[in-house]
Formats: sequence, structure tokens, C-alpha cells
Amino acid sequence: MSGQYHRSHKWAWFFERPGYVRFMVREFTGFFVGGYLVVLLVTLSKLAGGGEAAFAEWLASVSGPWWLVAHLVALVASVWHTVTWFAVVPQAMPIYLGENRLPAPVAAIVMGYGPWLTVTAVILWWVLR
Amino acid sequence: MSHGTTHEHDVIIIGGGGAGLRASIAIAQENPSFSVACVSKVYPMRSHTVTAEGGAAASIKPNDTLEDHIYDTISGADWLADQDAVEYFVHQAPPEMVQLEHWGCPWSREPDGSVAVRPFGGMKIERTWFAADKTGFHMLHSLFQTTLKYGNIVRYDEHFATRLLIDDDGRCRGCAAIELHTGRVKAILGKSVIICTGGAGRVFPFTTNGAIKTGDGMSMAYRAGVALKDMEFIQYHPTGLPGTGILITEASRGEGGILVNKDGYRYLQDYDLGQPLDVSDPRHPLKRAMELGPRDKLSQCFIKERWAGRTIETRDGHVVHLDLRHLGEAKIDKRIPFVRELARSYAGIDPVHQPIPVRPVVHYVMGGIDVDSNSATTIPGLYAAGECACVSINGANRLGSNSLTELLVFGAQAGKHAARFAMDHPDYNVSALETQAEDEGARVRRAFFDAPRKGGERIVTLRTELHEAMENGAGIYRDAESLEAACATVADLQERYAKLNIDDRTHSFNTELTAALELGSLLDCAEAMAHSGLQRTESRGSHQRLDHTERNDEEFLAHSLAFHQPDGSVPRIEYKPVTITKWPPGARTYGAGSGLKRE
Amino acid sequence: MDAKDTMTLEIFRYHPETDSEPRFQPYEVPYNEDWVVLDAINWIKDHVDGSLTHRWSCRMGVCGSCGMMVNGEPKLTCAAFLKDYYPFGIKVEPLVNFAVERDLVVDMDGFMDKLQEVKPYIIRDDVNDTSEGEYRQSPAQLAQYKQYSMCINCMLCYAACPVAGHEDEFLGPAALALGHRYNKDSRDQGQAERLDVMLAGEAIWGCTFVGECTVVCPKHVDPAGAIQQAKAMAAQEFFKGFVMPKGTGA
Repeated sequence: MSGQYHRSHKWAWFFERPGYVRFMVREFTGFFVGGYLVVLLVTLSKLAGGGEAAFAEWLASVSGPWWLVAHLVALVASVWHTVTWFAVVPQAMPIYLGENRLPAPVAAIVMGYGPWLTVTAVILWWVLR
Repeated sequence: MSHGTTHEHDVIIIGGGGAGLRASIAIAQENPSFSVACVSKVYPMRSHTVTAEGGAAASIKPNDTLEDHIYDTISGADWLADQDAVEYFVHQAPPEMVQLEHWGCPWSREPDGSVAVRPFGGMKIERTWFAADKTGFHMLHSLFQTTLKYGNIVRYDEHFATRLLIDDDGRCRGCAAIELHTGRVKAILGKSVIICTGGAGRVFPFTTNGAIKTGDGMSMAYRAGVALKDMEFIQYHPTGLPGTGILITEASRGEGGILVNKDGYRYLQDYDLGQPLDVSDPRHPLKRAMELGPRDKLSQCFIKERWAGRTIETRDGHVVHLDLRHLGEAKIDKRIPFVRELARSYAGIDPVHQPIPVRPVVHYVMGGIDVDSNSATTIPGLYAAGECACVSINGANRLGSNSLTELLVFGAQAGKHAARFAMDHPDYNVSALETQAEDEGARVRRAFFDAPRKGGERIVTLRTELHEAMENGAGIYRDAESLEAACATVADLQERYAKLNIDDRTHSFNTELTAALELGSLLDCAEAMAHSGLQRTESRGSHQRLDHTERNDEEFLAHSLAFHQPDGSVPRIEYKPVTITKWPPGARTYGAGSGLKRE
Repeated sequence: MDAKDTMTLEIFRYHPETDSEPRFQPYEVPYNEDWVVLDAINWIKDHVDGSLTHRWSCRMGVCGSCGMMVNGEPKLTCAAFLKDYYPFGIKVEPLVNFAVERDLVVDMDGFMDKLQEVKPYIIRDDVNDTSEGEYRQSPAQLAQYKQYSMCINCMLCYAACPVAGHEDEFLGPAALALGHRYNKDSRDQGQAERLDVMLAGEAIWGCTFVGECTVVCPKHVDPAGAIQQAKAMAAQEFFKGFVMPKGTGA
């Protein structure tokens, strides 16, 4: 008797289901979100500590066409990361009104898109006032 | 079938459904030093209790009384229930149901946090506890998960018990069981045994029952010499989906659903079940009337409508319509969401917008292993509980929502008494029992593995003929001729079964072998059903004889007892009187003003 | 529909007594638009090959026995209709991420052990007598855990979970959801005990929220959501452990 049969796992398991691919894409977008965060932090530190000349020099150095492309990619990745995050937040943090659970799209607005747009609007107002 | 190992415990429970699990916990709690073996041919949460939908009855609300529940049960049973047993059952029902609540069953609730109840067929007052419409599922999983708390419950999952082991002194001391994983036959020994293996609906072709409901425990007890009691009483549930036989719960009528014929007419009013109220009337649905009449009568009404040509013909046979549309989407989704899910998947209709096609379907065996109200059989040390047993609280017709409660009340009762028996009779002869288990392994091997492959028939051939014989011969309406034909076919099939041929003669997880063994159990149950039905020349509850249309209390206010004959001849049928305490047999009335009359 | 229509089922076969490797065996079955994949498998077992081995019982999607891979997707075969695949063939395999006992039957013992580990039962310090009646639980309190109590243990979620396939310590979607079901039950007081189990090693932290368990769940239990909620509870418990010694916490 040879006993139970154990099926082996493929190293490329993430191609086995479309859901796995989506998961890996989302994980990958984190790289861009992180990268952009570094750029933003450097920009802030130049603004805070280096004087106007150093800041202008930094701005010039990140304004090249390749930088623009990188910024665009980072923007798309960040939006994708954000949208997919808002999509799963209602699963992780259910909101109940009595015995009824807030439907996921509404919860996504309450916990995700709503605060996001609010904060964005406040910042825009503060910058543009 | 090599002989495997011997395993010793204190109490052996065969069957891991509602009754078996309740019994396990009862013993584990009361005798923490006891080792309890739970032997089941499937993992316990696969047991058929899982499919029960509508609810479980227990009288707890201020508008209800125990006396009303007793009367509803006895009249529903057409006076064939033992009244002392019904009294015990009804009194134990509330504490048992509360106990299950304490174990985590997610009962549906009233706004004040108390358990909610709904009306059910044949019940004068709403007293059916429910967990939406997956009551059996939640009860089974709550019980199963609770057993995980007890280290002294040892599970033998996927072990197929084939024979009871009887000690030299005539006491039952365990079972021989095939471990499906390896095919070895184990001797599982204990000081007492409880059978909780469920019903035998698979004797019939069109049934709500799952594949596992093959009467294995009934057959084992029958072959060990215990009588099968009242086996002629087979419950047809009035609302199954055509084609598949999937159950549409009575709760759909408890919530206000109505039954109509091809003219859209609520035909039940033509059959002494009271007058219908408009569905918009706040008093609808009227209890103990119309759609909330008992199952036997509603199923019989369907046949009469069919004879009158007022049913609807479909590809899957004749149907009537169960109309829930007036309940509205919100109520359907909240109270009977599973009905909607099942109707959409298996009938292709959405009950929010269309009526559901339904027809009567074999659902439950009122009869079973003859036990007293202590759940004890006539073999010392052998107990039985649940659908496989016949106490009898269900008599000639069980009321919906009494069976889930019965699992708890009599599961606990069997556990208690089996544990006491085990304490009082601790010693048994291990080697003699092991020899019996070895013999059983050899018998199975001879019967199915050593038989010549040529000339034998396939399982499906015999099973299909059994189905036809029982549907034609022992259906909702029977007569001497149809029952005699069924008896003859079953006898013929018993002979041909001895030469059955199975393809698979290997050991590991041989489900063709278990299907063959199950067919043997079905034949035993069918034999008892057909012969008991033939002998009972009266009409009572679910047993309706076209040649003896009246109830005959003088001769048949009695339980039938079918005894297996080891020489293979037809079973001997005996009778024992029904226990009547306070409720003398009376006319069984439904409709306005029915129910227990009070001064 | 032409009554002579047929479909081909390619079925995974493996017998532990004779095979060292599995193979796929094709079977021709009659096509009936009312049939589910399970009906076709039962037809094969009854009429063509009695040795084909699978589990099934209720055929109405509640006993949880008949989960298999149907064209690579974990499905209850009693709820997978032939008409959704017709006229193309169907490939049936045992649930992935489990060892195969024989043909379409997988080894469930690991799952049963994991279920027991999460203590899926009511734990209380003060147990009421049944004569005191039921514990009160409002419909709102019931709604907090009801969804997670709907698990039928069919294990489709384990077959959809990449972590369950790679990490033995991970308790897996169904077991964790059931643990969470009791943590959210207003009648229960055993949350701390259960969280201790979940906090150990990869028991819960193995979950990276791929979310496919929720996608395949036939009963809409949303194990992925339950696990993230349980993680949040476990994290709170973990940090509480720093600020106050054990036993003084809520």
C-alpha cells in the first residue's frame, strides 16, 4: 500500500488563479507606493532644512521626463492600491446599524472614499487659499 | 476484510447525528471518567440532521401550555403515540432546547432577546424554535462543536458499523465496524451501546433524505432480534421539489405561504381542513388548519387533487404550487432564505416572484427500533434514539418540528440510561466478542469479495427495483394487492442480493462495498415496512388503505412489531397496545375550533 | 435537448493500494440539463465503474461532503450544474491542498484537528442552569456572528487558499472563521483563550488576505473578513499583554 497521494505545489502558485494574480499585483503596487513615499520625504526634508536653493535644485533634478513617467506610474499604482484597499476594508471592519450590516459599497464610502476626499479637499483648500 | 484492532470504551454510540452527539455529551458530562466512542459512517457534521430546516418544538411562551403540545402531538399521531412517552417528551423539551441554546445554537430572536417561535403544521400554538430555516444545520454543528470540548468522547469517523456484538449473557457489548480508510474490521467494545443511525428514507426513490439514510441501525437491531415497530408509517412531506425531492420547509407555510392547485384555488379547504383566511388577514395563517394541517393529511389531499385532475403536470410529474409571493422579499430573506436559495438553484424559480412547484416526498420513518421511554430495547445494554428508534411519540404521523426536539430529549435519555447500565454491568467477555467481530469480517468478505463475478447483478439494478416496488406498493395510499406485490418483490430482491456483484474488491475506502451493505439494510427495512403495512387492515395517520379506509381502534390501537426470521422467511408481526393515559382516542379534527377542548 | 446528448467527465483516479501516481480517466455520461456534476459522478459509479470513489450525502448544499475541483475551481458538486459547462468537458479532481486518500476523497483529519484547536464552543465562567431559561441575545447581537456560523465545513476555502497549501501551522479560513464566530457571540467568555491559540506562530498571521476563501465560499461566510477582524482582536490582545500582566485584562 503506497498510502496517500500528496500533490506538489508549483513555485509559480500565483498564476494558478486570477485572484492570486490580482493579489500579487496589489502587493507589487506597494513597492511604488513606498518608493514615492521616499521621494516625498526627501522633498519635505529639502524644503524644511536645505534652504530655497537646495530645494529648487532638488525639484529640478526630479523634473526630467523619466521622473515624470515614474511619478505617473506611482500615481496609478497608488490609486490602484487605495481603491483595492477600500474595497476590502468593509470586510475587515464591518459596521452594523442594529441587526443590519452596512452594505459594502456604502461602508467603503464611509470608511474610505469619504474621508479620503475630505482630507484631499482640506489640503487643496489650505494650499490654494 | 482483515481483522483489525480491538478498542474498548465504556459506552458505544453508533451514529454521529443529533441524537448520537446529544447522547455522547450526556454521558461525557455525567460520567467524566467514562470513555465514550462515537462511531459514524460519515464525519458527524455530514449527518442528515444537518438538512432539517424549519425548527424544533418546545413550549416556553406564556400563551402556550405543555398540555397543548401533548394534545397536538397525540392527535397528530392519530392516537398511536404512547402517551406517557409524549408527556415525558413535552416536559423535557424546554430544558433540552434551552440547554442547546446554552451550547451556542444561534436561535432566531425576538427584539427583547428571547428565543423566537413560529407556527408549524398541526400545532395549535406557535412553539417552533428556529434558526432562520437552517435549524438542523445549526443544531448539528452546535452539538458537534460542543463535543470537541470533551476529551472523553472518542470519535470513530468514517467507520461503518455492520453488526452488533452480543455477549454470552445476551447483553449488547459493542459493534463490528469497517474502518473505511483501511477496510479493516474493528471490534469496538463497551458496556452498553446506543444506536442513533437515523431513518431509512432511501428505501424510496423520491425522498428528502440524503444518501446516507439507509436504515443501517434499524437493520442491525432487527437482525440482532429486536423488533422494528410501526414500520408501516412513512411520512410524506407535502412540499418537496419535483425531480430532486429537495425539501421546502413547512416553515414556509408557518410564515404564511399557501398551497394552490392548477386553478390557483386553495384546495385544502375541500378536505375538512377548515376555511382559508385571506393572506392579508392578520390572523393568517390559522393554526391547526389549512396549510398548517398535519403532513399526512396534506400529502393525501395532494393525491386526491391529482385524482380529480386539478394538479399541474410538469416534466417531473404532477405538482401543486406553494405560493410565497405575498410574504415579500424582505420577510423571505430574513425568515426563510434557504427556501429562496434552494428554489432558485434546484427549481430555477425565485419564490419572491413565482410560486414554487411542490409535490409530496418521502421524509421520515415514524417507525423504528422498538424502545421504551427509557430508550431501552429488548436486548439488555442496547439503546436507540432519534429517527432510527420508535418510542413512540410520533405514532402514525409525526408533527413537523417534533423530531429535532426528539433527538435532544431521547438522545440525552438514552445516554443517561446507557451510562447507568454500563456502571451496573461492567464486565464482559472480550475474546468472545472479538471472535464475533472476526466472524463478521469473514462474512462480509465471503458475501462481497469471494463471490464469483459472473452472474451477479449490480447494486443499482436491485436498488431501482426496490424503489419501484416500494413507491408503487407502499406509497401514500396502499391496499392489500399493492402491499403483497411489494412484499413479493422485496423477497425476490433479498434472494438476488445474496448473489450481488461488486466491481471493487479492494480495501481502502471501498464505497461500493458500503453501498452494497446499505442496500442490505434497505431491504431489511423495506421488508418490515411492507409486511407491517399488509397486516394493518385499517387506515390511520400516514398509513392509508384503500381497502380498509377507516381507523379501527378495537383491533389496531396497537403498535406493530416486526421480528426478523433468521431462516429468511417472512417477518413475524405481533402487536402491543398503545399506552393511553389521559387522552382517549377521539376524532382527529383540523380547521376552526380544533385542538384541545378546555372547560 | 437531444436525449442522446452526452458529456465527457475526466476524473482524477488514484488508488493507494495499486497506484504510485494518479491518472485521469474519461467517462462519457448522458447529458441532462437538470443534472449536477454529482449526479453524473453517481451515474458513473452506479452504471459504469463501481470503484470510482467519492463522498456525498444531502445533494442540497448543506452537508458539505461533496466539495471537489471542477475545472480547477473548488465547488460543491451538488451545486455545479452540467448545463453551465455543456458542451465542453469537465475535469474533476479532489480538493487541492489536501492529501488524496483515494480518487476524489481527501484526508480531512488535519482540518478536524485545526477546528478543535480554535475551541469552537461556548466557554463561560458562570454557567446558568437550564431552569433559568435562555441567555438573552438581541437580534443585533445575533447579527454580529451569524454569518460566521454558516460554515458547512466543506473545505472549499482551504482549496482556494495559497497559504493553507504552503503553511501547515496556519489554521486556515474555516477554522479561524468559526473561532471568530464564538469570539463574537455575546454568550461567550472564551475570547482570551481562543486568541492565545490564534496568536501562536503562523496560526492566524499566516493569512495575507488574498481573499479567495471568501470568493469560493458557497455559504457566503466571508472567512477572509472574519480573519482580518480576528487579527485586529488578536493584535489588541497582544499589545494589552505588554501593558498589563495576564489575568488583569478584560
